[in-house]
Amino acid sequence: MRKLEADVVVIGGGSTGAGVVRDVAMRGFKAVLVDRVDLAQGTSGRFHGLLHSGGRYVVSDPHSATECAEENEILKRIQADAIEPTGGYFVATPTDDPEYGDRFKTGAEATGVPVNEVSIAELLRREPRVNPKATRAFETLDGSVDGWQLVWGAAHSAEQYGAKILTYHRVTKIERQGDTVSAVICTDDKTGETVQIGCSFVLNCAAAWGGQVAAMADCHGVEVVPGAGIMIAMNHRLVNTPVNRLTYPADGDIIVPVHTVSIIGTTDQKAEDPDRLQISYEEVQQMMDCGEQLVPGFRQSRALHAWAGARPLVKDSRVSATDTRHMSRGMSIIDHSERDGLKGLLTIAGGKLTTYRLMAKKVVDAMCEQLGEQRECRTADEVVPGSEKHTFYSVSHRLHDREEDRLSEQILCECELLTKKMFTDLQDEQPLATFDDLRRQLRLGMGPCQGGFCSVRATGVSHDRGKIDIERATGLLRLFLRNRWIGLWPILNGDQVRQTALDDWIFEGTLDIGHLPQPAEEVLR
Amino acid sequence: MRDAVVIGAGFSGLVTAIRLAKAGRTVTLLTKGIGGIQLGQGTIDIFGYNPDRVTDPLAAVDAITDGGHPYAHFSGTEVAAAVRYLAELLPDVFVGDPARNVLLPTAVGALRPTALVPTSMAAGEVTDGKKYLIVGLARLKDFYPGLVAENLGRTPLPGGGSVTARAVTVDFVAREGEADSTGLNHARALDDPDNRRKLVALVKPHLAEGEVVGLPAVLGIHDTAAWTDIQTQLGVPVFEIPLPPPGVPGMRINEALTRLAKDAGVRVIVGNRVVDHAADGTTLTGVVVNSAGSKTGHAAKAVVIATGGFESGNLHMDSYGTVTEKTFGLPLANAEAPLVHGDYWGADQPLFKVGVAVDDAMRVVGSDGAPVFGNLYAAGGILAGATRWREKSGEGIALASAVRAADSILGEAR
Repeated sequence: MRKLEADVVVIGGGSTGAGVVRDVAMRGFKAVLVDRVDLAQGTSGRFHGLLHSGGRYVVSDPHSATECAEENEILKRIQADAIEPTGGYFVATPTDDPEYGDRFKTGAEATGVPVNEVSIAELLRREPRVNPKATRAFETLDGSVDGWQLVWGAAHSAEQYGAKILTYHRVTKIERQGDTVSAVICTDDKTGETVQIGCSFVLNCAAAWGGQVAAMADCHGVEVVPGAGIMIAMNHRLVNTPVNRLTYPADGDIIVPVHTVSIIGTTDQKAEDPDRLQISYEEVQQMMDCGEQLVPGFRQSRALHAWAGARPLVKDSRVSATDTRHMSRGMSIIDHSERDGLKGLLTIAGGKLTTYRLMAKKVVDAMCEQLGEQRECRTADEVVPGSEKHTFYSVSHRLHDREEDRLSEQILCECELLTKKMFTDLQDEQPLATFDDLRRQLRLGMGPCQGGFCSVRATGVSHDRGKIDIERATGLLRLFLRNRWIGLWPILNGDQVRQTALDDWIFEGTLDIGHLPQPAEEVLR
Repeated sequence: MRDAVVIGAGFSGLVTAIRLAKAGRTVTLLTKGIGGIQLGQGTIDIFGYNPDRVTDPLAAVDAITDGGHPYAHFSGTEVAAAVRYLAELLPDVFVGDPARNVLLPTAVGALRPTALVPTSMAAGEVTDGKKYLIVGLARLKDFYPGLVAENLGRTPLPGGGSVTARAVTVDFVAREGEADSTGLNHARALDDPDNRRKLVALVKPHLAEGEVVGLPAVLGIHDTAAWTDIQTQLGVPVFEIPLPPPGVPGMRINEALTRLAKDAGVRVIVGNRVVDHAADGTTLTGVVVNSAGSKTGHAAKAVVIATGGFESGNLHMDSYGTVTEKTFGLPLANAEAPLVHGDYWGADQPLFKVGVAVDDAMRVVGSDGAPVFGNLYAAGGILAGATRWREKSGEGIALASAVRAADSILGEAR
């Protein structure tokens, strides 16, 4: 058994956990973050990529609107490399009530969210594919944000302050001494080793999995209901900026350009298990219909991939009234000292990616208060590693880089202009990573061919460098192809069928991957 | 008025057109683009898996019980005759016996069954006790010799036994100053005897007694002597391992067959997609293509659709899940939902068995079994009922149906 000591253990490596561990570490606590899989593999990587301006909430949730507007500005300052400051539009399609625009305008003024009504001609000049029959349009400061980049940035910042980030560490038990938390017990799923992290405080940031984690401290009945939503990535940028329906927030009312794709979202279905989210035919059809409303011809565009994310919605009758002072709209902090008589454990759920830093601040404030310590939050002022130059993400940045190194570097993934060097550099940092772990940070296999050409190259390069043996190389290739299919088959149509046929000709026809020696057990991590 | 219009330029389209032209018929071959041969691996697969590994593909054809499978229209002997027809069209290109599958190493080191193989791949045949030296080229990113060698070495052979394999990578410069050269550019470089000498000099120090040398299939594109030259200089058996597309062996075959078609008098028109047709009752009178800004008619006594299936785009599934045949709007077999499932390594995806049904003459038939048009024939990937990349049956089906369609038009069908 491996033993570690920390002041604080943060459980969950989504945006909340990453924000919290950064904040905790910056306030001088010795911190460890554990996640049962990779960072931002859950909800924080499974959204539509919108950096809120607040516009979406000016009518439905004014408090959140103001928070979003403030955090939007802060994140652009501290995490430019994860953000593309596109600006955005709210558009009334022919079936939407144009008068909602007046409520929208009033709400924006009241909440301090900058919006500006523009003519339809101006809208169509900026967004030529948007429904030309639109009746009203407002521009906003919406942007697009890469959730993985955001979370890794915060994690790297935490590491600079001495925090340890332990992925693939699955919590099995939260131990107590008397009425206080004393340690977190994990299994390192890469090695099978048991890890004991002695600590005096635990911040449960496991979101949709938060109830399961709380139960490991014998705090039962924390019910986090996974609200599942699906997203579909369409090839290319159908829009240049996030385009929202100018309506009360509803299903399928937004298209966000993220990297080389546009993402439509989303639905809201109560799910039983956040690990088993389904993407139904009906939901896909609903998104396609919604897409047609905003961008005529949407159905003829090429759907590349679909995924589902689980919003963590807390439903807990035992949360005491005093907790509400820690609550912001859409977020809850459960203090288990009051609820269960266990000191040193807070469970956090809810919230949005755009306000992740603010949420983290409130959580760590609550922890400091309970510890009776006065330490100031500095996360809004300090830039995270990678964003020092304050250069925003731009969709053409890799093209620019490849023009520099096109003769000296090999490109592993043409769709995403990913070089072998980018791949091997990250693999050196994270030698135990699966191809999906690397994909989330590098976009390996996320373009139109969905791994058709790069997956075997990634396998060959990894094996060639002696990083993995032949069983693991072959197993990781099988895993990567299988995982790509999870997001492909529910939306398979049009040119992506053609691509799939070509990919199958390559994988099965030419390479016969399916008849390589079968692993005794499939490689899963 | 032509005797026949053939649509599509893969194996099935080219072979149908050549067979008709060689029999004295006037033939126009219309194609949207370059055919699919170069997307494949360059071998002639007849039947590799059903779903277990097949050793005698002709016996497997005879044993077909699924009436919806393209091979249900053929005997093994007929398939063999069709495959031999191609081999005779391209003398000295292929070796092998249609009645016996050989195993060839793939570019990930799997043992792939196939029937006829290009002469440049023959020395790769996997047999018990064989020793391989797999050579990678540092600037070619689609071939990793360690992956090939180690997977080869750890795979028990179907009949028992094993092989040994080791890997080496040499820095062959296909194009000066370029770290990332395509397979095709490597092949172009190796058309040059000087470059072949350089490659041989790099490989030679690594040779060991009793080994065969496996190289990625980039040993020349136009110069048919490139492979033998390298083999002669190295003084050991050398074989090529096919890569993901565009595949050089397929390009060579495509080039040879297209030349043959033209030499036989086939009028090959590239870049012309068939968008409409004309009919007199149930007889097609011609097709209409989109060409350079206008629509052009091609009148014909018979039409062969050899477009391929989903991979060419002629079969298309829309966002509602409805599958259509884009050229004629033909009735499709096996098109009932659900067409796709989520088990990637599991059962065949029903979608890829969608296609047109045909009678024994290869005439396209509706669900009632009656021909849609009396003079419309189908061949190759458009035929319903087989997942060719799984079965390793693509070329066998294409050639058998092409020969049958041509013979039906010639009035020589059984």
